[in-house]
Amino acid sequence: MSAADPTTLNSFVAATIQRLAAQRRRERINYILLTVTGIIGLLLIWEASVDLFKMPPYIIPSPDRVLNALWSGLAVPLNSRVGFYLPLWNTLEHATLGFLIGASLGLIIGSLMAEYRSIEIILMPYAFALQSLPKIAIAPLVIVWCGFGNGSKVVMAAMLTFFPMLVNSFAGIRSTEPERIDLMKALSASRLQTYLRVKLPTAAPYIFAGLDMGVVYALLGTIVAEFLGAQEGIGVVITQAQAVTDVAGVFAALVILGGVGIALHMLIRITEKRVVHWSDRHK
Amino acid sequence: MSYSALAAKGLAWPGLHSAATSQVIGAGGPLIKAQGLVKIYSTVSGDPVVALDGMDLTLADGEFVSIVGPSGCGKSTMLRLIAGLDDADAGEMTLAGKRITGPSSAVGVVFQNATLLPWMTVWQNVILPLQVGGGQADTAHKATVQQYLEISGLKGFENKYPYELSGGMQQRAAIVRALARNPKVLLMDEPFGALDALTRERMNVELQRIWQTSKKTVLFITHSIGEAIFLGDRVVVMSSRPGRMLEDLMVNLPRPRNHTDTIADPEYIRLAREIRRMLDASP
Repeated sequence: MSAADPTTLNSFVAATIQRLAAQRRRERINYILLTVTGIIGLLLIWEASVDLFKMPPYIIPSPDRVLNALWSGLAVPLNSRVGFYLPLWNTLEHATLGFLIGASLGLIIGSLMAEYRSIEIILMPYAFALQSLPKIAIAPLVIVWCGFGNGSKVVMAAMLTFFPMLVNSFAGIRSTEPERIDLMKALSASRLQTYLRVKLPTAAPYIFAGLDMGVVYALLGTIVAEFLGAQEGIGVVITQAQAVTDVAGVFAALVILGGVGIALHMLIRITEKRVVHWSDRHK
Repeated sequence: MSYSALAAKGLAWPGLHSAATSQVIGAGGPLIKAQGLVKIYSTVSGDPVVALDGMDLTLADGEFVSIVGPSGCGKSTMLRLIAGLDDADAGEMTLAGKRITGPSSAVGVVFQNATLLPWMTVWQNVILPLQVGGGQADTAHKATVQQYLEISGLKGFENKYPYELSGGMQQRAAIVRALARNPKVLLMDEPFGALDALTRERMNVELQRIWQTSKKTVLFITHSIGEAIFLGDRVVVMSSRPGRMLEDLMVNLPRPRNHTDTIADPEYIRLAREIRRMLDASP
């Protein structure tokens, strides 16, 4: 083939593009096939092991029992007292509220600590001490202070979201390149202008990593508060199912929680991709 | 060729310097005068480092002065002092007869890296100086910025993000940003150090053109002897640390300069040899 001949060259380029596209398509199909095979394989092994070792359903239920429980929880009207929808809504409502409060406070206090050395010196020891403490251990105290109601759920979710946000906001703002700060200084920019226009966007990838952790922790905090005493929520569904040794029901609730966790994580990732569009490419 | 000779030849950009000329003080005196500058940095190990020891420098209005010296000779420190980013430990600095006490809108700074903010488009980046630190984002200033974008060949790229531009274009955008407030002085700290050799040569020609049309006073820091001579009306040679002025050389090469002719000029060769001998002799 001669590169000097434009028609030959063009058809060659077109063929190459087609070949590469076909290759990409094949790779994608392979990816999906492998994932589905993995899931089916896992379920088969699960089913086989339960049969083989004669596991009683109140210890480990077989996949079809879990699917049954899942179906009976989902195949109800949205506003039904039984089923997953109402408890899930209740859990998400309080987890979201707690998440918003905890994330905002974490961002604000983390920013203040990064901006003002004196605030950093005063607060850092407590931040360290509380960060190393397993926050779940405070849950009984929170119940004492805020009662067996929805308040405790929100407080637990907020507390668990707060720390990753605090640490990440602080680290992100401190990571601002000195040259960018020099730039703003040379422009006589105010502290607030430098913070809003340079430091906060620089910290954005860190902040999103904090939100990503925070959203899972908020769900965790809410569930723990529900375990310790609440009337509504997925945590209550789990404890009630456990009380009547409906282990398949517990599994089904866990599947729902896993799905919600993945959905929330994806939501944060998609938002991050839209907001921090420069992040992987700016260097 | 001097600045006034350039203006006489009509090389000066007519519409751009109106705001600048209205601020010009009594002609004749130097625009920037620095005497006996001393700067000492403390280091982590505890030994103080004398970056500058009695450095003198004067820049006439409209002049292009290059500073060349070994790395770590304090040339960047010198620029930071004049930019008002750092305070001198001793010595006097004046800009248009007034003491330099901090950053000023009469000074534009171009850093080693383009330091464009990756979350802003090219346009948002170049008008940043008009939006922070008391800058005025009026139509007259914006028109000036638009003219500079055109001069530097960035027209049509206003809505691109920095990561969509080549390194040379990014640095040109940084120059336009430094010119946004129509400053009298442009301070440039090894702005082309990160570019490949060919792009760098092209940028030198571009900068010469921008300088000739904008009629700014430029202080250009570099560690390239060739670049210093090619661009400068004068080349100031600095000793290695502690930084002092070794020599102040006039560059009598015709403008506009281009690489084909300029680097073959006997004057260029003589200057290059002299500077190299000086730097080799300096410990």
